[in-house]
Amino acid sequence: MKTLLLLIPFYVLPLLVQSDVVLTVLIFTFVLSILAIGFNIVFGGAGQLTMFHAAAFGIGGYVTFLSMLRFGISFWLGFGVAVLVVVVTSIVIGWICFKFRLKEFYFAVVTLAFAELCRLVALNWNSVTNGTLGMLVLEKPTVWLPGTGIVKIEQTVPWYFLTLVCLTGILIFSALLMRSWIGRNFSAIRLNEDLAQTLGIDTFRYKLLAFTISNVVAAFAGALFGFYTGYIDPAYLSVTQSLDAIAMVLLGGVSTILGPVVGALVLTSLPHLIELPAELRVAVYGTILILVILLMPRGIVGLVSGLLRGRFNAA
Amino acid sequence: MQVVIGQILNGIILGSLYGIIALGVTMTFGITGIVNFALGEFMMIGAYATWYFSDQAMLPFPVAVMLGVVLAAVAGLVADQVLFRFTRNNLVNGLLVSIGLISVMESGALLLFTTTPKSMDAVVAGSLSLGAITLPRMKVVVFLLLVAVIGLTWLGLSRAWLGRATRAYAQNPEAAMLMGVPTKLLQTGVVVYSCALAGFGGGLYASLFSLEPSLGGLFILKGVEAAILAGVGNLLGALAGGVILGVTESVGSLYLPSAFRDAYGLVFLVAILLFRPAGLFGSQR
Repeated sequence: MKTLLLLIPFYVLPLLVQSDVVLTVLIFTFVLSILAIGFNIVFGGAGQLTMFHAAAFGIGGYVTFLSMLRFGISFWLGFGVAVLVVVVTSIVIGWICFKFRLKEFYFAVVTLAFAELCRLVALNWNSVTNGTLGMLVLEKPTVWLPGTGIVKIEQTVPWYFLTLVCLTGILIFSALLMRSWIGRNFSAIRLNEDLAQTLGIDTFRYKLLAFTISNVVAAFAGALFGFYTGYIDPAYLSVTQSLDAIAMVLLGGVSTILGPVVGALVLTSLPHLIELPAELRVAVYGTILILVILLMPRGIVGLVSGLLRGRFNAA
Repeated sequence: MQVVIGQILNGIILGSLYGIIALGVTMTFGITGIVNFALGEFMMIGAYATWYFSDQAMLPFPVAVMLGVVLAAVAGLVADQVLFRFTRNNLVNGLLVSIGLISVMESGALLLFTTTPKSMDAVVAGSLSLGAITLPRMKVVVFLLLVAVIGLTWLGLSRAWLGRATRAYAQNPEAAMLMGVPTKLLQTGVVVYSCALAGFGGGLYASLFSLEPSLGGLFILKGVEAAILAGVGNLLGALAGGVILGVTESVGSLYLPSAFRDAYGLVFLVAILLFRPAGLFGSQR
């Protein structure tokens, strides 16, 4: 929990830095962090290599916006509809995968297959999703603030604080979840599934729970992302989007609380620090993924905390 | 009816291309314990190399394909020694490393060849006609070549010493090592051979279809699907799995919306995994 204090500087940052570029990069970092945290709950928590989180991200964006458009409801109610859709899809897909004991590679392939099915639906259901062209999102989320009443989030600074608060909330939630008995059961499944089962943990139920929670968190990131960029298209559900989140989690540190945020920060700001053509950007992601797995399996957070512990022990 | 038969034949030919990737996937998994998801990219190397040597450098087609195979094999050797050597028997790490490799190789192809599709002139012109069905000769040649290569691989692995060693290793690595099987060499050999197979498939693909840098990503998915469909570890099944997948897609897109072409194979695969987890031809435990 103490590690969360590291977020405090971000709350005062807008007072010191007025640059729109810096704040925009940070907004993207916060939103993608939420997606990465979602992936970390199921992979870093329960050890299941899912490829469905990009689909949940996309569903979050599409369903939130479409239900706002069709039913004339607010962003948050629209997101509620998205949560409902994501929970139902996650339970169906998770039930199929876990009931038939699909593990590791098979689980990855089948979740990838379902994610592709979702992407094909978004791509081809022209009358609803507008196909490859995607949709422009002109609506903005509203927030009730004490004193001022309902405020529309439009400018960079309000978006900055909205996404930062959301990220903080999700971080606290994931930290509490991982520390609770639920989180401990997830870890038991990750470390040795057969043993966990022997000890009386209902592995099916906990894997399903981890998968569902993770997808809801990813959907939240998708809704924020869609409304911030003002544009939703089928690329949200692509394999590349999944891989980006995986790279963030691995770079930052699997199974750590802050890992996804650190990874998202590095990978989101990297293209802005070094000028790169789009093709090379993908290559850089791939190279980072390979190097991290081979050389730094515990990620940045794992490495740093290892170093700190070493220093304390020496002293 | 003729349309259906035509689509079935097209599916079989496309399916044999899936089959050669599936064969590589199955072999690599049996011996090194990882799934080389980047195999499609080695196919892309073979395809672009064949296109370059045949269409740009004006070499004869068979020579171009051989060069493509060699290039893919060399790339496979480098990838094995630099990357895959460190992820043996670690499925998740192997998966993630090969996924990283896909991004790197695909962007490399984008930079070198851009997104403009590349296609070459027909190598064997003309077409066969059986009644009302016409089939380009080149497609028949490609199909026969692929079946021959897959069959020879199966023969080699089931008859020769190498095959016995390979199967012994797959059954019990330590015992095989004690019996004098050079396991490290075997693992590297299998990775390189599967990359060469993928390169061969790519070279033949180049003679039929136009090339885009993303072709590898598509084919590895089909290859993995075909391998799982047949049951991982089954060499001849890989070909059958590929053909079944190809036919399902071709015939499926005839009767159902063709936009969901890629989905039919996936639905089929999920059904197989649920009801016959060891694959269509795998032995049930």
